[in-house]
Amino acid sequence: MASLSISMKVNGETVGPMDIPEYTSMLDFLQEYLNLTGTKLGCGIGVCRACEVIVEDDNGGLQTLRTCINNVGRFNGSNVTTVEGHAQRNADGKIESLSPVQEAFLRHFSFQCGWCTPGFVNAATVLIERLKKNPVAKDKIEATIDESLGKHICRCTGYVRYFHAVRDVIESTPGLVKEGD
Amino acid sequence: MAVIARCRSLLAGEPAAGKGKGWAMTILLFFLFPPSITAAQPLAEKGRYIAAAADCVACHTAENGRPFTGGRPFPTPFGTLYSTNITPDGETGIGDYSLEQFRATMRHGKGPHGNLYPAMPYTSYYLVRDDDIEALYRYFMQLPPVENRPPKNRLIFPANLRFGLSFWNWLYFDPEKTLAEPAGKSAEWQRGSYLVNALGHCGECHTPRNFAQAMRFDKRFAGNVLEGWDAVDIRPQSLRRQGWNRAQLRQLLTTGSSERGTLFGEMYRVMQHSLRHLSDDDINAMITFLLDDSEALPERPGNSESAAQNYPGGRGDFIAYCAGCHGRAGSGITQAFAPGMDNNAAIRAARPHNAIAVILRGLPAQRLDRERARAGMPSFHRQLDDARIAELVNFMRAAWSSGGAEVTAEEVARIRHSLEEEGYFSPAH
Repeated sequence: MASLSISMKVNGETVGPMDIPEYTSMLDFLQEYLNLTGTKLGCGIGVCRACEVIVEDDNGGLQTLRTCINNVGRFNGSNVTTVEGHAQRNADGKIESLSPVQEAFLRHFSFQCGWCTPGFVNAATVLIERLKKNPVAKDKIEATIDESLGKHICRCTGYVRYFHAVRDVIESTPGLVKEGD
Repeated sequence: MAVIARCRSLLAGEPAAGKGKGWAMTILLFFLFPPSITAAQPLAEKGRYIAAAADCVACHTAENGRPFTGGRPFPTPFGTLYSTNITPDGETGIGDYSLEQFRATMRHGKGPHGNLYPAMPYTSYYLVRDDDIEALYRYFMQLPPVENRPPKNRLIFPANLRFGLSFWNWLYFDPEKTLAEPAGKSAEWQRGSYLVNALGHCGECHTPRNFAQAMRFDKRFAGNVLEGWDAVDIRPQSLRRQGWNRAQLRQLLTTGSSERGTLFGEMYRVMQHSLRHLSDDDINAMITFLLDDSEALPERPGNSESAAQNYPGGRGDFIAYCAGCHGRAGSGITQAFAPGMDNNAAIRAARPHNAIAVILRGLPAQRLDRERARAGMPSFHRQLDDARIAELVNFMRAAWSSGGAEVTAEEVARIRHSLEEEGYFSPAH
């Protein structure tokens, strides 16, 4: 099978160039080649969004992409963040502090089995970053969360606690909510 | 119950019991089974079928509205039209229509209140037979009347003047013409022709229109871009060239998907409301007409090796962006999830519009019932630029079809621009 020469940035570190069979899914690439097993295979057909990672687009904006239905070639040369890349780590790689989204998910008991959590963490983080640039009106918070996380599937806690946690982060972080309209 | 009570009181007030009973029974029977309705019942039942074949409900129902009560908006170059209430409500529906008026409306676009806009396909329905018109009339008249006044049309001058439509009709509409019935064709073909041309009014979408929005009969069924999709060329040669056979067409028209391609946009709703309710015989007749009795064309499959050489970027993007769902070498991963591209009609079509538009717009998930649902497709208008989409489409066409003219980035840009103008790109990716 033909190979591709792949190089990208994953969680701030340069990866590659390395030869990868061209039909390798991004999920397999993360798990089998980079040993980043935090990104989970859920449905495998692009529906549940457990496998979403963050990719920086050309304008520096962030978007989520599903890694089960996209092959590694789509991510070639891009800047990728997986669930392993959110926490602050010290020089030895030990976790010092979690990101605000991760903290909020823990505080609100948002997940039980945790399989869908990487997808929720990434999508919620992208939402928070977006709101830092474009704050949301107070009465649109609910709709905005739904727009970002509504397609993610969770089979344990019924979404409410994820929603509460994200709302908490949006309301407690200065500058994400604008007054009026 | 009120009728029975009334008959009882009549009975009680009548001294000559035996004779009175017979008289009262006649009244009772008259009230319970009025002669006009008993005679009309099978006709109304036939009318229900005709209404399905003519797909009345799709246009005469607003989103989430009650069937046949109208109010669905139709954006046209001249403004927005709203479909009418066709339940037999006297005030807001067609309750006052005589059969004659109903016929004139259906056939000639002449309603009791003035000319109809040709969004109502009287330009096809003029071919509907008398007995079918009457059956339709009986069917609609026995529906429950619903009071519902759809919004007023919002049209620009001079299109807002209904009398102007007489001129339009004079120019473009010739109701004297009859359905061609070529002598050499089978009875099944003739039935199919009637279903496709008259009741199904397929030509209304699948025939190109001129600047005044009149169908160009010199190009009947040659395809037309509507709502951002190509309502494809459905002439026999074109369908044959894409490799359609009877079984695949039957599956497509009755379920919305087949190994050769899938229905989307308005055509999916046509299947949902109309085609899947038709009898096997009628579907077969339509297929006989559509494929004509013409010979199957020899397969001219593409060449994936030379396609890969000619369009390496297109192949790379197919693997990176598409193959996760559409499978290695475009073989697809079940029809319900992601159909194969290696024998897909949109890839094989002479016009690449739908292949490009699907990539740009994506497709919504479809759910016919519990067992027949299909996954949607994401849109790629943010991720892939015009040149890459052109190369991707060129790769697919070269690899898996007999190939058409090469797609250029300018062509993709034109389609992207018009889709954007018409607001077909969803805000979220």
